Amino acid sequence: MLEGLYSAAAGMAAQQQRIDGVANDLANASTTGYKHVRVGFRDLLYNAQGGSAGPTVLAGAGAAAGFIGRSQGQGALQTTDQPLDVAIQGPGFFQVKRPDGSLALTRDGSLRLDAQGRLTTSDGNILQPEITVPRGTSADKVSIAGDGTVRVGAGRPLGRIELVTVPAPDGLQPLGGNLFATGAQSGQPTAAGNDTTLRQGALEGSNVDVGDAMVDMIDAQRSFQLASKAIQMQDQMLEIANQVKR
Amino acid sequence: MERGLYIAASGMVAEQMRQDQIANDLANASTPGYKADRVTQRAFADLLLSNTATGQAVGGLTMGVAADRMVTDTSPQPVRDTGEPLDLAIVGDGWFGVQTPQGTRYTRNGQFTAAADGTLTDQLGNAVLGSNGQPVKVDRAGHVNAAAVGVFALSNPAKQGDNLFTGAAGGQAAGTVRTGALEGSGVDPARTMVDMIASFRAFEAGQRAIQTIDESLHKTATQVASPNGGA
Repeated sequence: MLEGLYSAAAGMAAQQQRIDGVANDLANASTTGYKHVRVGFRDLLYNAQGGSAGPTVLAGAGAAAGFIGRSQGQGALQTTDQPLDVAIQGPGFFQVKRPDGSLALTRDGSLRLDAQGRLTTSDGNILQPEITVPRGTSADKVSIAGDGTVRVGAGRPLGRIELVTVPAPDGLQPLGGNLFATGAQSGQPTAAGNDTTLRQGALEGSNVDVGDAMVDMIDAQRSFQLASKAIQMQDQMLEIANQVKR
Repeated sequence: MERGLYIAASGMVAEQMRQDQIANDLANASTPGYKADRVTQRAFADLLLSNTATGQAVGGLTMGVAADRMVTDTSPQPVRDTGEPLDLAIVGDGWFGVQTPQGTRYTRNGQFTAAADGTLTDQLGNAVLGSNGQPVKVDRAGHVNAAAVGVFALSNPAKQGDNLFTGAAGGQAAGTVRTGALEGSGVDPARTMVDMIASFRAFEAGQRAIQTIDESLHKTATQVASPNGGA
């Protein structure tokens, strides 16, 4: 009897986790380079139930949800006409060095120049490999080609923005601030293929589809409600069982 | 008389099991590729009643009911588009095969992801098998070739939890793999709610029968043979 109560409660907890994911997606509907989360569902252990009934009747223990990674779908490009805004088209990440010296990946291409003329992200993480623009150069003069080559005006190349990919983007550890760390789950970064290009003067928007997210939220809420009805029903049955002896 | 008590109680126990199964179905209303269950019930063996004076047969009396078997409806469910390259669905019959530490298991839940070594895995990290029995690879752009993913025929599928089924594999099945889509849960909320109410009322009826029999027993014990008729 009590199994059913807990199976339904597990189902409610799973829907709650899904709602948490959707809420985070909606909060990031305008975050540059944000990728929505993928929530996976699975059913749980089945236990043989009932002595006289034999082992053929199985009671399931409900459902569990888990984050299985992030969508790698392309976000819409937003033209900003800022010379240091760079959007990635296709799979790949910028590699940056954080203040503590560790490397991280990001798709947020709102770049700027630091005091020494190096290209950095908006949070001051330095783009790897380092690209230094000569002192006193106006940002308007910097041109970034589709393959990542950085020039000032029509001058000679100052360097190339190199994009990387990892074998399992779902295994990247989010560090906050649009940054991700590689690890054993994601595999080591390698150079991205030639089909990934950069576009200057644009930013990649969030790939959260607000419509889809809202539908997901409604679905999660109704499924939550269904599981709660099962709990109510089990509770009423316990009450009835208690009234057998008046 | 006491027979009735136990018969009614057996009905209540059977309905409890049905409710447990319904609760599990409702909990999995959003689990992709989930297959809904049904608990079947059967009567216990009949008892032949006979007239105590003449010995003439009166008829059979069933000794109640028991939850018998759990039947899983494995029919394919509608597929919905998600646009995720690693969400896979089988249109038609067949199962994905995954390599678990306990051996090959089968699933219809195609929420897959990539492992660090570039193989396609399920949520728990089990490698997804191709039609050649080898793990499927994810390409550099994060896509899989739908034709390379194995679709296996399975007889006598039995639930194991974690979306996995065991059973006897029998070659390739007719279904085709679609990427960017997931198979919906096999739980029909409306039907399950109706089942839940019906089962609940059957449970309640069992309790009423017990109470009625209890009242009769009470009267037998307190009023029969009482000098003032129990008043």
